[in-house]
Amino acid sequence: MKDSAAVLCRDVVKRFYHYEHRTTSLREFFIRSVLGRPIHVRRASFTLQDFELRVERGDAVALIGDNGSGKSTALRLIAGIYAPTAGVIETRGRLAAVIELGVGFNPELTGAENVALYAAVMGLTRREIAQRSPEIVAFADLGDFIHEPVKYYSSGMQARLAFSVALCVRPDVLLLDEVLAVGDQGFRARCVERLQDFRRGGGTLIVVSHDVDTVRQLCERAVWLDRGRVRLAGPLDAVAHAYAGTVGSTTA
Amino acid sequence: MTAATSPHGSAVHDVWRFRELWRSLVVRNLKVKYQRSLLGFVWTLLNPLLTVAVLVTIFTYVVRIPIPGYWAFVLSGYFVWSFVQQMLSTGTYVLAEHAPLRRSVAFPSEVLVLAAAASRLVEFAVELALALTALVLFLHGGVPASYALLPLLVGIQALLAVGLTMPLACLSVFYRDVQHALPVVLLVLFYACPVFYPASLVPEAARSVYLLNPIAALLTLYHTVLYEGRWPSAVLLGGTSAAAVGIAWLGYAVFNRYKRLFAEIV
Repeated sequence: MKDSAAVLCRDVVKRFYHYEHRTTSLREFFIRSVLGRPIHVRRASFTLQDFELRVERGDAVALIGDNGSGKSTALRLIAGIYAPTAGVIETRGRLAAVIELGVGFNPELTGAENVALYAAVMGLTRREIAQRSPEIVAFADLGDFIHEPVKYYSSGMQARLAFSVALCVRPDVLLLDEVLAVGDQGFRARCVERLQDFRRGGGTLIVVSHDVDTVRQLCERAVWLDRGRVRLAGPLDAVAHAYAGTVGSTTA
Repeated sequence: MTAATSPHGSAVHDVWRFRELWRSLVVRNLKVKYQRSLLGFVWTLLNPLLTVAVLVTIFTYVVRIPIPGYWAFVLSGYFVWSFVQQMLSTGTYVLAEHAPLRRSVAFPSEVLVLAAAASRLVEFAVELALALTALVLFLHGGVPASYALLPLLVGIQALLAVGLTMPLACLSVFYRDVQHALPVVLLVLFYACPVFYPASLVPEAARSVYLLNPIAALLTLYHTVLYEGRWPSAVLLGGTSAAAVGIAWLGYAVFNRYKRLFAEIV
């Protein structure tokens, strides 16, 4: 790979299916096999089509668009959680993603235990985890709650913890999905500050949001996704302006 | 057509890269299971010991199985069976249990199965230590030379269990009734394996077919080594080792083929 881009997506296609019938039990599988019926009856329901993205090291890009336009799918593809139906996705360096806030936590374990587990999932060694734990705990600023099982946390608290872990693993590429929508004003301000630091340190950022104002503090570029296709890509202001023009008007 | 770099490609070195996750999952598994229950580690032992006690009582006093020191015979194989059984059961829910984690972070899912195996092995080690103590003190009155084979047997056991669990875990992601079908299979398997009777009671003519079941072969090896204190036949030992390696390889291949679809199945 000679390319220097931190994240590169070329001709990426991701197809999801709507199942008119989906066989979810072995019993049914056998019955349908014997009767010669199809195992699944499905049709393509959503497709992320010809997704192109190139993010240089140290750049920040926002993915904007309506609900269901494919922003989160694109982010999951980059994170490696989904495998693309076709196309090439390349990333360089350590990648951390905060997707579906907090739900990756184990409700029975305490905040501190979850931090260790989460950091381990992100590929940190035991020593690194031990070194950074205090920093993570301090940034999340949950007080004594850090020693309580996560099941007693509010969604905002879970969000803070998830965000702290993701930042403190010192990723090269950070993917955020609607993260700043949760958490109180004070925490949000601290997040933005930390993200700006992160970028000054050469970090690459990809943010998914439908709130253009939050994103403006972090990104210069934006990609506007509309029903699975890139509608417009370029400087944030131009893209945001074009996007704002369509919001409210019905596109058939 | 597939993607190229770190979170996207996957191989054995990936599992090694995530060794810390593996370790903390093991600690977590054991913690969640024992830390918050009153009797802690005693629970692990209570259930299998009770089963052993029942088996020994029934087959010594009611249905008499004609071998000397029957309690020692049961003790030398039951925990192995229980390990395999628990691994297979775990396989049907381990991927669903960690579904949120798998949907929010990219990591090799096989780590989940391997972590389950490792935590079961810790429990098995405790049970085995107990069984060994009883066998050495009350049956052999010393340590038979054949006990040197134990590490190899545990290795075979782990490979076999992981190799069978991986495809089962795959199947459970796609078909939800696997976890209801498994107890039936396990029940049949319980009688098809020498858990409470020795393989030597199986008719001579059928025995070679009987031992084609690798779990039956493994249990027979344990009985020979632990209970009889003899060296097993090279054919049985070699054959079972080869079968364990083959099954582990095949099971991992199946798992690897389907794991990229896991995150999308809700």
